[in-house]
Amino acid sequence: MTNKIVLKADSIVKYFYEPVKFEVLKKVSFEVKRGEFVALIGKSGSGKSTLLYVLSTMDTDYTGTLELNNEVLTNRKQNELADFRNRNIGFVFQFHYLLPEFSALDNVMLPALKLKKKSKEEIEEAAYKNLGLLGLQEQALKKANRLSGGQQQRVAIARALINEPAIIMGDEPTGNLDSKNTQIVFDIFRELSKERGQTIIAVTHDDDFAANCDRVIEMRDGVII
Amino acid sequence: MASVNNRISRTYLTSSPGQTIVAILGVVFGISMYVFMTGFMTGVNNTQTELAFSALAHVHIYNDRPADRSNIIQAVYPDAVVNISHPKIIKYTDGIKNSAAITALLKSQPEITSYTTQVNFNVFFKNTGNKINGTISGVDVQNEDKVFNISKYMVKGNWIDLEKRSDGIILGSELASNLSVSIGDNLNILTADGVSKNYKVIGLFETGVAGTDKIKGYININAARQVQAANAAFVTDIQININDYNQTEGLVNKLAPMVPYKVESWQMANEQLVAGSELRDIIAIAVSLTILLVAGFGIYNIMNMTINQKIKEIAILKAMGFSGNDVTQIFLTEAVIIGIVGGVLGMGFGLLISWVVNRVPFKIANLETLPMTYDWQDYVLAFIFGLIITVIAGYLPALKASKIDPVDIIRG
Repeated sequence: MTNKIVLKADSIVKYFYEPVKFEVLKKVSFEVKRGEFVALIGKSGSGKSTLLYVLSTMDTDYTGTLELNNEVLTNRKQNELADFRNRNIGFVFQFHYLLPEFSALDNVMLPALKLKKKSKEEIEEAAYKNLGLLGLQEQALKKANRLSGGQQQRVAIARALINEPAIIMGDEPTGNLDSKNTQIVFDIFRELSKERGQTIIAVTHDDDFAANCDRVIEMRDGVII
Repeated sequence: MASVNNRISRTYLTSSPGQTIVAILGVVFGISMYVFMTGFMTGVNNTQTELAFSALAHVHIYNDRPADRSNIIQAVYPDAVVNISHPKIIKYTDGIKNSAAITALLKSQPEITSYTTQVNFNVFFKNTGNKINGTISGVDVQNEDKVFNISKYMVKGNWIDLEKRSDGIILGSELASNLSVSIGDNLNILTADGVSKNYKVIGLFETGVAGTDKIKGYININAARQVQAANAAFVTDIQININDYNQTEGLVNKLAPMVPYKVESWQMANEQLVAGSELRDIIAIAVSLTILLVAGFGIYNIMNMTINQKIKEIAILKAMGFSGNDVTQIFLTEAVIIGIVGGVLGMGFGLLISWVVNRVPFKIANLETLPMTYDWQDYVLAFIFGLIITVIAGYLPALKASKIDPVDIIRG
C-alpha cells in the first residue's frame, strides 16, 4: 500500500445562487487516509453538508479538484460518476432512505446487483452476512417500511457495505436515532475502519460521536478551521 | 444490470396493484375499442359493397352516346360567335357489335375473375289491367351468376332454369307482386319497338335494393336477341368482375384504348359509394385513434404520479450508483409491461365485444345481425399502436425521472 491517501480535495469552491450569490465553500483543501474515521462538524450553514455532497460526487457544480481512490473525478460525466459511486462509495443518510416496497434483503442486495461483480447467490449470501453483522438476520425478509427506525438505519448501513466500498459517507447517520442505536452504529463504523480499513466520513452534530473519531474536521463559514 | 432494473420495475408494478390495474385498463379500453370499431366499420363497408355489387359489376363496357361535336367552328375559332339551331346528336350504332372480339380480349386478362354479356332493354310489363314499365336483362345465365351472385337472392324457383327456358322470365319480387303474378303465371311484355311477347314466370328474386326489385326481369340472352331482332353476337353491356374491386383503374386504362366503347369502373359511375365508404373508414380511424390517445394520456398521468411519489427513491437509486439510463429503463419497462398486458387483454376484450355485437339482431335488407369483420391485421395494428402510445406516454415521465438531481431531493 504505497499511497494511503483515498480522498484528496484541492481548492474546492462552491457558490449558491439562490436567493443571492453566496460562496459556501471557500477554497477547501484536505486529505483523508485509508482507514481513517473522520467526523465533519460545524454549525448550521457552515458548509459541512455541502462539502460532503461535493465529496460524494453527486454535486458536480463546483470548481477545484476532487480525487477519490486515485481517480480524478472533477468534470466527469454523470453516468461515469454513478458507476464510480456504485463501486467505491457507500452512503448512510439521516433518514435512512430505503426503498419501502422492497424487503430489507433486497434493499441490501440492490447496489451489488447493479455492480454485477458477483452472482446472485453470492450477493444474497453476502447480504445475509451483512445483515447478521448488524443483528438483523431475523428481519431480512420483512418489507423495509415494516421495520423500526433503528432497524432501517442499520439496513441502510448494511446496504452501504455490500460492495465493500473504499469510502463510506454518512450525512448525520445517527441524527435520528436514540442513544442506544447511536452507540450500535458508532461501534459498527469503528470496527469497519479498524478491521476492514474502510474510510468513513460522517457529518454529525453529535459531540460525543465526534469526540470518539480518529479525526475531527470542523468547518466555519465555508473554511476548515 | 438489465435484470436488476427489470426487478425494480416488477416490484413497483406489483406493489401498487390498484394503479397498475387502472393503467392497464386504460390500454385495454383503447385497444378493444379500436379493434371493435375497425371490425364493425369494415363489416358495414363490406355489407354495403356486397349490396352494391349485387347490381353493379366492377367494370362496365357499353355503347355510350357519342360526344357532342355540333359546334366544330368554336373549336377552331374560339372567339367566333356561333349560332346553331336545333342540333341533333344521333347514335348510329346500338349496342356492342363485335362482342366476340371483346370477350376474347377479356379472357386473356389475368385479373378478370368473371365477366358476362347482357342484352338490356326497356319494356312494359303487362298483366291484364296492370302495366308497369321496367327493364329486361337478357343474360348469359351461368356467367351472370358468377358476376352478380344472383342465385343467392332467389326467393322462388331456380336461377339455373332460365338457361333451358327460352320462354321463362325471372322477376323482382316487388315487381311480381305489383303485377299480381306469381310463379307459373303468364306475363306479356311490350318493347319500345312495339314487339309484344308472352313469358312464363319461373322464379322470383329479392336483392334488397328496391330500385332493382321493383323494375327488373331476367330472360335468357338468346330470347332477348330474338325480341330485339338482333344477331347472335349482339350484346348491349359487358359486365366484368376483377380480383380486387379497388384496383379497377389499371384494367380500365388497359382496356379503354383497345375497345371502341365506353369502359367505366364502378367508382366512376358511383362516386357516392366510394365517398361513403371512405368517410366511414376515416371516422372509424379517427374515433379509435382518439380513444387510444386518451388512454395514452391516462398512462402518462399515472406514470407521472408514480414518479412524483417515488422521487426520493429515484434519488437514492442514483446515489447508490444507478445511472439516468437505468432510471429511464426502470420506468420505461413498467410502461412496456403495461402496454403489452393491456394490449393482449385489449385484443381479447375487443374480440369479445365484436362477437357480442355481431349477434345483435338487425333485420334490414339481407342482414340478420349487425355486420362484423375479424381481421387479424387490425388486431396486430391495434396492438402495435397501443404499444407505441404507451411507450411514448411512459417515456416522457421516465426521461423526467432520469434527470432528477439526487442532491436536491436528499438535501430537501
